[in-house]
Formats: sequence, structure tokens, C-alpha cells
Amino acid sequence: MPRLRLWWQLWCSQWRAGPVRMAMPVVALALGVALASAVQLVNRSALAEFGQAARALSGDADLVVQGSADGFDERFFAAIARVPGVAVASPVLELRATLASRREPLHVVALDPFRAMQVQPALLGEIAGRLRGLLAPDGIFLSGQAASALGVETGAHLEVLVGSARRRLEMLGRLSGAAYPRALGIMDIAAAQWQFDRLGVITRIDVRVAREANPVAVRAAIARMLPPGVTIAAPEVDDARLASATRAYRVNLAMLALVAVLTGSFLVLATQTLSLLRRRSTLALLRALGMTRGALRRTLTAEGVVVGMIGAALGFAGGIALARWMLHVVAGDLGAGQLVSLSGSLAVRPADWAIFVLLGALVAGIAAWLPAREAAARPVAQALKAGDAGTAFAHARSPWIGGALIGLGVLLAVLPPLHGLPLFGYAAVATLLTGGVWLVPAAVGSLLARWPRPRRPVPALALAQLRGNSARAAIGFAAIIVSFSLMVAMAIMVHSFRESFIDWLERTLPADLQLRVGASDGTATLESAAQEALAQVAGVARAQFRRSRPLALPGGAASVQLIAVPIESGGVPDLTIVRSAPATAGVRAWISEAMVDLYRWQPGEHVTLPLGRGRGLAVTVAGVFRDYGRSTGSVIIPRSNYVAATGDTTANEAIFWLERGAHAATVVEAMRARLGLGAALQIRTTSEIRERSLRSFDRAFAITYALEAIAVFIGLLGVGVAAASTALARRGEFGMLRHVGMLRRQIVTMLAGEGLLTGVIGAGCALVLGGALSIVLVYVVNRQSFLWSIDLAVPWAQLGLLTAVLVAAAAAAALTGGRAAVGGGVIRAVREDW
Amino acid sequence: MVAASAAPPVVPGYSLAFPRDHGSHPDFRTEWWYSTGWLRTARGARVGFQITFFRSRQAIADANPSAFAPRQILIAHAAISDPLRGRLQKDQRIARAGFDLAQAREGDAAVWIDQWALTRASGAWHIAAPAEEFTLMLTLSPTQPPMLNGESGYSRKGPAPAAASYYYSLPHLSVAGDIVRDGRREAVTGEAWLDHEWSSEYLEPEAAGWDWIGLNLDDGAALMAFRIRDRHGGVRWAGGTLRAADGTTRHFAPGDISFDPQRRWRSPRTAIEYPVEWSVRAGDIAFALTPLMDDQESDTRATTGAIYWEGAVRAGKGGREIGRGYLELTGYGEALLLR
Amino acid sequence: MVRETSCRTLLEVRGLAKRFRADRPPVFSGIDLALGPGEYLAIMGESGVGKSTLLNLIAGLDRADAGAIRVGDIEVTALDDDAATLLRRQRMGFVFQAFHVLPYLTVAQNVALPLELLGVPRKESAARVAAMLTAVQLASDGGRYPRELSGGELQRVAIARALVHRPQVVLADEPTGNLDARSAAQVLALLREQVHAAGGAGILITHSLAAARTADRVLTLTAQGLEPLA
Repeated sequence: MPRLRLWWQLWCSQWRAGPVRMAMPVVALALGVALASAVQLVNRSALAEFGQAARALSGDADLVVQGSADGFDERFFAAIARVPGVAVASPVLELRATLASRREPLHVVALDPFRAMQVQPALLGEIAGRLRGLLAPDGIFLSGQAASALGVETGAHLEVLVGSARRRLEMLGRLSGAAYPRALGIMDIAAAQWQFDRLGVITRIDVRVAREANPVAVRAAIARMLPPGVTIAAPEVDDARLASATRAYRVNLAMLALVAVLTGSFLVLATQTLSLLRRRSTLALLRALGMTRGALRRTLTAEGVVVGMIGAALGFAGGIALARWMLHVVAGDLGAGQLVSLSGSLAVRPADWAIFVLLGALVAGIAAWLPAREAAARPVAQALKAGDAGTAFAHARSPWIGGALIGLGVLLAVLPPLHGLPLFGYAAVATLLTGGVWLVPAAVGSLLARWPRPRRPVPALALAQLRGNSARAAIGFAAIIVSFSLMVAMAIMVHSFRESFIDWLERTLPADLQLRVGASDGTATLESAAQEALAQVAGVARAQFRRSRPLALPGGAASVQLIAVPIESGGVPDLTIVRSAPATAGVRAWISEAMVDLYRWQPGEHVTLPLGRGRGLAVTVAGVFRDYGRSTGSVIIPRSNYVAATGDTTANEAIFWLERGAHAATVVEAMRARLGLGAALQIRTTSEIRERSLRSFDRAFAITYALEAIAVFIGLLGVGVAAASTALARRGEFGMLRHVGMLRRQIVTMLAGEGLLTGVIGAGCALVLGGALSIVLVYVVNRQSFLWSIDLAVPWAQLGLLTAVLVAAAAAAALTGGRAAVGGGVIRAVREDW
Repeated sequence: MVAASAAPPVVPGYSLAFPRDHGSHPDFRTEWWYSTGWLRTARGARVGFQITFFRSRQAIADANPSAFAPRQILIAHAAISDPLRGRLQKDQRIARAGFDLAQAREGDAAVWIDQWALTRASGAWHIAAPAEEFTLMLTLSPTQPPMLNGESGYSRKGPAPAAASYYYSLPHLSVAGDIVRDGRREAVTGEAWLDHEWSSEYLEPEAAGWDWIGLNLDDGAALMAFRIRDRHGGVRWAGGTLRAADGTTRHFAPGDISFDPQRRWRSPRTAIEYPVEWSVRAGDIAFALTPLMDDQESDTRATTGAIYWEGAVRAGKGGREIGRGYLELTGYGEALLLR
Repeated sequence: MVRETSCRTLLEVRGLAKRFRADRPPVFSGIDLALGPGEYLAIMGESGVGKSTLLNLIAGLDRADAGAIRVGDIEVTALDDDAATLLRRQRMGFVFQAFHVLPYLTVAQNVALPLELLGVPRKESAARVAAMLTAVQLASDGGRYPRELSGGELQRVAIARALVHRPQVVLADEPTGNLDARSAAQVLALLREQVHAAGGAGILITHSLAAARTADRVLTLTAQGLEPLA
């Protein structure tokens, strides 16, 4: 392969001549692939772990009879066990035990080990020999994760809060991570019913169908006997629930990966184009010496492919490291708490490498193919002729295609989510971006044409240079516009989110103190006596008690939050209401926006909430409110109606208005002293909550900013590379100008002016494009991912600063690149036959 | 925690009454209904069967008001010994009593775990056990009255008087029914034995296990004999009952019984060695025991926690078969703990 | 800008020597040269003898090791980079082998470059560019871009650019090296004509005898100095 060897020599000489320039696209692609693959790996590891946990819990069950957290009558277990065709029915009581020592409740699965052994052998296999121990009325086995998180060993005692009472459980043993990868406690069902005051109640029945039976018939037979609010399904439903759990976190990172990959590929396009410009006489010579057009095109594309593969391979290695880091360090924040306590094991398959390397090769191959096609198509004679540089790549791309892409993007933006994910939204972002970049040469050309001609010769020359080379300048613009417009879009979205979030916080926190007893789905509550005691604490002017708890609705993947709040008849809860129905009779309920998307509930609609053990509570949807606290949906009903329907007079949340002059800390101390609930009792001042919420909000997005900044930095490097290689190609020009009497600093000024102009125009285009993209992000991607709306708010100051930094950086990059080109060699450059 | 009410002791002088004592005695800690027998299939093949229902009281759960409270744990084992297969086909069940899904009823024999059941109706005992590899559907009809072991059913298991059980046997039960294997139903007939025994302190801590036989002799007589071994391989206690065809019954004292191992078999699964051929003497009767097949080991660690050998045996005298029954060898691996 | 109309010497070189490395003999030494208004000189020499170096020294783009160079009344060797640049801007014009016509400027804009740098008012500049383009026979091509022109035309644009600000010294370095014979002849004739018309001094560097003969005088550059053509 002499031709290959020749190419290899030429390519290596390029690397020797400009290692930084050549490495730039590799680095950019590597970064993009690193982000994309890290997101993919973390997500899959998380899902795999969720899935493993779910499978361990559901085991070999063919059917799962699932009730709400309230549970249902245990006698259904006996009835279902007798249904013909049921091989095993295993009763389960699942609850989240509030611990005295910790805010996070412990997930407890209480079961009859003798029956569960036949359904979940993997979960119980390890303790099979010790099952009898589980019969102790206060025994609990902990998964390795739970034991580590709680810092307890076998034989230790755990204090749990049930209502306002404390109970002691003894840790009987520890399950390995292989049995169950997440935090979990396993108890005997009788012990749990007794210890947690849930006598007569179970929440789930796992059913294994007999081999010879017809599962469909068995399922139908069971379904017929179930009370309202209790569903039967194949255990796969659980996987869907888990997939949605990491949604919020994926949205964020997928966006970043998109930024990086697109920036990287545009950088490949830019470097490759400029490199071809620089090498045009070499290429022409090769053509003249007998290389066919096709061979030249293929070889040039292959260069890009090689760059892409190297970048992608490096990037994937980086992605693995990044994924490890994300799992260990930032998982909690990125996942909005969904990925806490991951075991951190990362499954990397060889196929992943192959996929990402191919992906990198494909992206870079396309990016290299576009300029290669043009380079190969140019007439040899003209390319060999001196002074041809400016004419190369001069013909602008058809703006119609750009317009069509933008139209397609708009169309994609209005499509509904796919499988609950804003896939069309992402496609819209990518399409709009590509369309926008497509239009860049035309836009830049017309902008430059309209730019007033400066009086002074040096800026005039800079403008003329940009004007005359708008196609080449557009290449420099592309990388910067892609990265900066995405950054602008993200900045606007995050700012909009933050503003709406602050507004929501204000409305949600009307009082001075907020009290919670454990997690809302935990076992600790405030009984009437405790509520009275709290209301009478000195300094409390007014108290409002709420009952908040999860509620599983039929057809829903995850349970929704039910909040029973004191609301006077005819009154309206203090919420950001986005839509409401005309006044109606009967029990009113307010639903969060997610309920509309997930359950298709509408204002004015009559629905039944599976509350209490009877046939539920019929309510009318009175309005839709905004809820940033729970993306899986929430429902607010008057507490009086809740108590009437369930008989549950306990509360687990409260807000307090303090008397004027009352000292919050003193009041909190008095409350703690009254209740003695330990760490499970959280009392915070409103300002403390606001600060905490905003801090965690900012922390969640901090990584976004950091990674975006890297992408923009790479974009700027692209500008620098473009400037440097352009300047290199223009050495003859600089030499002539020096001869003609241009001062060195005038040339530098000219270059800086060109960079400045590039920055201003690039930033301008990026602002427009980013603004458009932010509308898609705010109203489509955000809405479809999180199921809540936010109001568009533009961070003018932030954008102004970013633009200024960008413009300055672009000028500096052009200067740095150009300075080298105006050195001593310039004089001699006039004699080079370029 | 409310202190568990104590289990009643087994004392002499209790007078067994039926059908009351066929039923469960839930206050006592341990109880079992144990049926074994030799079957002949319609095609003439001989197989052994064994099915046991254990009841174990968990006083620790007495205070728990939950319907799931594991006050009584029920365990069932069933096995078929077929020399053509060379090993036991066996299965087991375990459940807490409750919800009428698993129960050991008082008043008359009725004990079940889901579909597995041992019940008495119209004077006959009915066995149903749909297991993994087979299904047993048998009716056992008495041909003789119950045989009370020990002093009118007070059967001592050791030097301490409290180490005892209430114990009776039903020998020479005539069997009719079906067994299903590999999806094939076979009608079977044969002769069976049923033991019912309950106790609060069955084994003394010093005891390691026992050797037990129950034989239906061809002449219509029935022999039950056992010995309790201590942890050093010595004999701690022994006893037995021989009832002749005419009903005359003789109870054996520890000195009347001897078990002499003749041949050992080593389990390839657990590496435990069991004496599977014996020379047995009970009073003035002496005979040789040979197993229907060597491998009749049962691993029930998942339910009772024990590994033991329990299989069909022939009794022979001078090369002539005089009867058939079951031999049970426990405590050859680890010491047996009855819970 | 001061116009020199006297019959004084426009360019004077005396005892000029240049060496690139201290351990090597000088490229040349003892160069003496004097050119008056309208004088057009051709310098020939073998490759590597230092013809271009001589031009660079005269243009103030390189430093001599010995000797003096005067352009009008200004001693070039004493100037710093900025002053030398200003000198070039005002009093010198250049024609290169590779034309160096900026591709992104029109022909007229290219020619106007020196005037722009000198701050000549736009109106006057336009008039002078137009006149210059007429002089190089490109009167109707001012609005065209370099890519539309042939090599000969490009070099004529370069000649126009070299002379538009009426420099005292025009330096042409192999201006016909990239041209065919017909274009070359045309360009040389034009150069000669324009140097004479502008009344400055001109130096043509070439290794073509035919080209050299278009000048008034021909010298050969050797390591020992400038000698008349043998």
C-alpha cells in the first residue's frame, strides 16, 4: 500500500508541524464522547441496579397484586391463595420505617419467609438457614447497604418511630450486596404488622401461577375479587417505574452530551476544512500525480474517521472515569436524590467501546467528508495556481435547506413526548441547531455586507478580510455558535427554572416554621395529642397540621403524594394555580400539573381516590397547581374530607406562624422537648428551607455549568485554531502588508479586530439561536421531562457577561493565533510561492 | 414482651381417647403424624412411601396479635422409595398455621399445608400430597385398633421422666389409592403404618439421635422398636412395643432392645455414613434388616434443619422375609435438634 | 509627505556588507550603489548570491553588518522597525514574484492599499487609483476580484499598487518569475515605463538576461560586490 504509506507520512508531518492544532478535534470529540458515554453508563448502571433490586423483590412472581401504602385487608391473601391455578401466594407488607436516628426512612419489606422462599429465593437464599430467627417478633435482617448506611452490625438495635412511639428492632443478620443492592430491611410479616401497628393489613401479594394453569385466566380470576385501589399486574411494570426515576437527571446530562458532541464534530469540520485549505497545493499535486478524485475524497474522509476513532476511544475511557466519579460523588444531586446509595458498580461491556468508537468515527467521518468532497471536486489546475486560497469553499450553502431544517425543528417541537421522554424535543433542538448553523454563512455574509465600512484603514481591512472570506469565517463561527447557543439556551432554561422555583418556594412557605415527622411515607406521625401540644407551645400564633402520604393510583407507575391540608369550605389552598374549574359541590381536590400528564385528569373531572379501606373518596378536580417538589404528581384535598374518609386524624407535617417577637430557635427547642421524636422530627424556619432549597438547586446545576463551560472553552479553542491556521495561510499577505508599510501592531490590531468581529457576530447569532432553543427547552423538553411548567425568564445580566467574555476571548484567541504568524518569518513569506 | 405460656409436660397416667387424640395438641411443643408403607403398583412393582406432618409450637409468638403470628409452624415431608430409581423422590412443605391455608386441627386428625393434607374421615385416613416429582393420593384403612406405646401411650425417651412423649401407632393399615409420577397415574395397594406422637421435651440435650423401626410382620403382628444414642455413640435409652396378631402386647425395657449395624452406606451428597443393614433384637425376637435400596437419605435442612436416612426395609430371619416396614436413622451427621 | 524633485541621489548604498553567520564569510560586502530620479537598474546574479537580501536591507526589513543606506536624506540603517515601516509606506513600492494581491479586496481596493495607509482622502485616492489603473491598462477592471484575473493582469495590479503613492524607490523582485513570456514582456515594459513616468528610482532583481536588458543599466551581484555586466 504505497499510497497509504505516503498518506501516513503526510499526515504525520502535519502532526509534527502543528500538534496542538491536530489534537484539538481529538480532544473535543473525546470530551463529547466522554460526556455522552458517562451519561449512558451511569444511567444504565443505575437502571440495572434498580432493576436488580426490583427483580430481587419480585423474584419469580408471575403476578403482583399491589395495593396503596395504606394496604388492604390481609384476608384477600387467603382468598387469592385459594384461587385455582395459584401455586404460591406470598403476602407482603411494605413500609418505610421512620428511624429515630436518621431522616431517610428505611425501606422495610415484611413477608412470610416460608412463602416468600418459593417466590424470592434469591432474596432469602442467603438467610435460608436462619429463617427461624426471623420469627422473633422484633427481628430484622438488613441489606449490606442498609447496615452500612445505618452503621449497625448484627445484634444491634434499631429504634423506629411508629406514630409518636418508639419501638426497638434487633438486627438479626446482614444480606450481601448480591442478594439486594440497595438499602432494605427484611422482617417477618407478623412482626411488622405488630411492631408498626398495621394489624390486618398487607400491601402486596406476589403470586406464582401453577405450571399447568393459564396465567391469563388466573389473573382475571384474581382481578375480579380485588377491592378498589388494588391492582394486579405482571412485575414488569416495576421496571417502567424505575426508568422514570432517573429522568430528571438524564435530561440534564443528555443535553450536555449533545452540546459536547456537536461542538466536537463542528470542530472536526472546522479543523479539517482549514487543514485542507492549508494543504490545497499538496492535494492538487497528488491529484496531478495521478490520484483519482474518489481516492482523494476517501483518504481525506479516512483522516477524519481516524481522528474520530482516536477521540472516541479516549473519550470512552474518560467517560468510564467520569461515570465512576458521578456515581461516587455527585449521584445524589444529579439524580435529584434518586441515585442515593448506589453501590457504584459500573458495568462496562466491550460492545460499548465498539459502539462509541463507531459513533465517533461516524460523526468525525461526516464532518471530514463535507470539506473532503469540496476539496476533491476542485479543478487541479486552479488549485495549483497561486492565490487560490480565497476562492476555495467560497460558494455558500443553499439557505433553503437551513430554512427547511428550522421548519422541521419547529414541527418536532410541537410533537408529544415518546415513552414519557421528550425525544422529539431533543430532536428539535438538534435540528434547529443544525439548521441555524446551516444558515450561518448566509447570515454572517449579509451581516458583514451591512456592516458600515470603518474610516480607518486597519479595521476596514479586517472587515474586508472577513467579508471576502465569509465562507471560511463561517467555519470559525460554527463551533462557537454551536457551543455558545446551547450554553445560552441552557442558561435561559436554568434561570427560568430558578425564577419559577423561587416564586413557588415563596408561595409554598407562607408561615414561619415548617415541621415534618420523618419522610412523608414513613411510619412516624403526630397524633391529636401531639398536635395540640405543638399548637400550644409558647410563641406559636397559629398552627396548621397536614397529613401527607403516598397514594398509588391505578395506571400510575409511581405513587403520587396526597396532602390533606386544612382548607375552609369555599377556600382555595395557597398555591400557584395554573388552571381552575368553575366552583362545584362535593369534595374538591387540587392536582399538580404532573397529574394532568400522567393520569389525564382535567379540572372539573370527578375522580375517586383510593383512600381508606372502603370504596375510596370521590372528589372533583377544582384546579391544577404547580409543584416543583414532586414530579410524580401530587393531590391536595381538604383535611376534613380526608379525616372523614379514612378516620386518620394524625398529621406528619405542620406549619406555624409565630407571635411577633417570638424567637424561632426557642420555639423549635420547646417543640422538640415536647415530642421526643429524635432526628425524625425536622423543624426548620422558612428562610432556612428557602436557602437550603436554592443551595441544592444551584448545586444540582453547578456541574451543568462546569461542563458547559468546558464545551464553550473548546469552542473558543476552535476559534483560536481557526485563527492560527488562517493566519498561517495568510503569512504571504502579512509579508506584503509589512512591505507596503503596515506596522506590526497594525497587523496584530487587524487580527484582533477580525477576532472581535467574529466574536460579536458569532455571539449575536448564538444569542438569537440560543434564545430560540431555550424556548424549546423551557416549553417542550422541561415540560415533558419533569411534567411541570416554568415561566420563561431571561438572565440578561448573565448573558451580557457571557457575551462580553466570549467576544473578548474570541479576540484574544485570534490574537494569540495571529501573533505567531507576524513574527520575523513574515518578511521572507512574500517569497514563498503559496 | 408477654412471657410465653409454658408447654405442658408429658406425664404418665394420661388416658388417650380417640378421635380426640388423633387431632392436634397445640399446647405441646412438638407433634407429628408419620405414615410409612410398602406399596405394590398395578404392574407389580414394589415401592415405599413416607409422609410426615410436623407441628412445632413457637411460644415466642404467643403475644403477637397478628393473624400471621407464627404460633404453630407446620412442616410436611413426603418421599417415595423406588429401587428402579435408586434414590428418594421427595418434597417438603413448610408454613405457619393460619388463614385455614395451613392448620393442625384439634378434635380429630386434620393437618394440612395448602394442598398437602392428612385427614381422617369415616374412620379412614386420607393422604394428599401433590409434590414436585410425584403426587400421593392414598386412603389408609385401619384393620387393627391403635397400639399404645410405652405405658398406655406414655413413651419415655430417656432416663429423665420428662423426656417422653404421648405415642401411639396404627400398624397394618390397608392402603388403596394412586400415585402419579411423570404425569402417569398408577393405582396402588399395600400396607402402611402410622405413628402419632406429641411431646414438649422429646430429646434430652445429651441425646444425639435415634434409630427407629416400625414393622408390619407377615403373621399380623406389629413391632415398634427404637433406641436413643448419646453424643458418644453409646445407647442412652431404648424401648419398643410388640403386638401379636391376637392383640397381646409386650412393652420392651431399654435392656430388651439391641441394634447391631451390619453394613454401612456412605452418602455421596453429604458424606454421612449410615448403617443401612442391621441385626435387631427385641426381647426374644431377632431378625435382620435390609433396605429396599441404600440411598434413602433425606435432606430437609430447609424445613426441619436435619439430614437423616428414612427408608423402606425388609425384616428377614434365616433368609426368609418375615415382614416389612420403615427404618429411621437420625443424628448421624450433626446431632439432631428438635425445635 | 515631502516630494523630492531635485536631481539629488534618491538611493545611495555605500560599503554594504551582510553575513548570516559569524563563522561564515559574508554573503556580500563592499556594495556601493547610487540611483537618481528616473534611473532604472537591473541586478542579476546566481541563486543564493544575496539579491533578495540586498533588497531587504534597502527596504529596512533586515539589518546590515556594515555600510550605509540612504533613501533621500534618511539613513535606513539607523531606523527602528516602526520608522523603517513608515519609510517604506511613504517612499517605497514593491513588486513580488507571487503578486501578493489580496484575494478579498477588489483590484481598485488592492491598488488603494498604500494610499489608505497614508491616509490620503478617499476622493483623491480614488482619482489616483483610477489614473494608475489606466496606466497599467486595467482601467475597466477596478471592481473585479483577483480570482477573475490572469497572472499577467495580477502583476499589473501589483505594479499599480507599487507606484500609486509615487514612491522614490520601487523594488521589484523577480516580477516575471511566474509569468509566460508574453505577459512577462508586457509587465516589464510597463514597469520600466511607470518607473520613468513616476520619476523615482527602480531596481529590478532578476536572473533573466532578457528581463535585465529592459533596464537602463545592468549590474551583477557577486560576493565581492556589484559589477557591471560582463
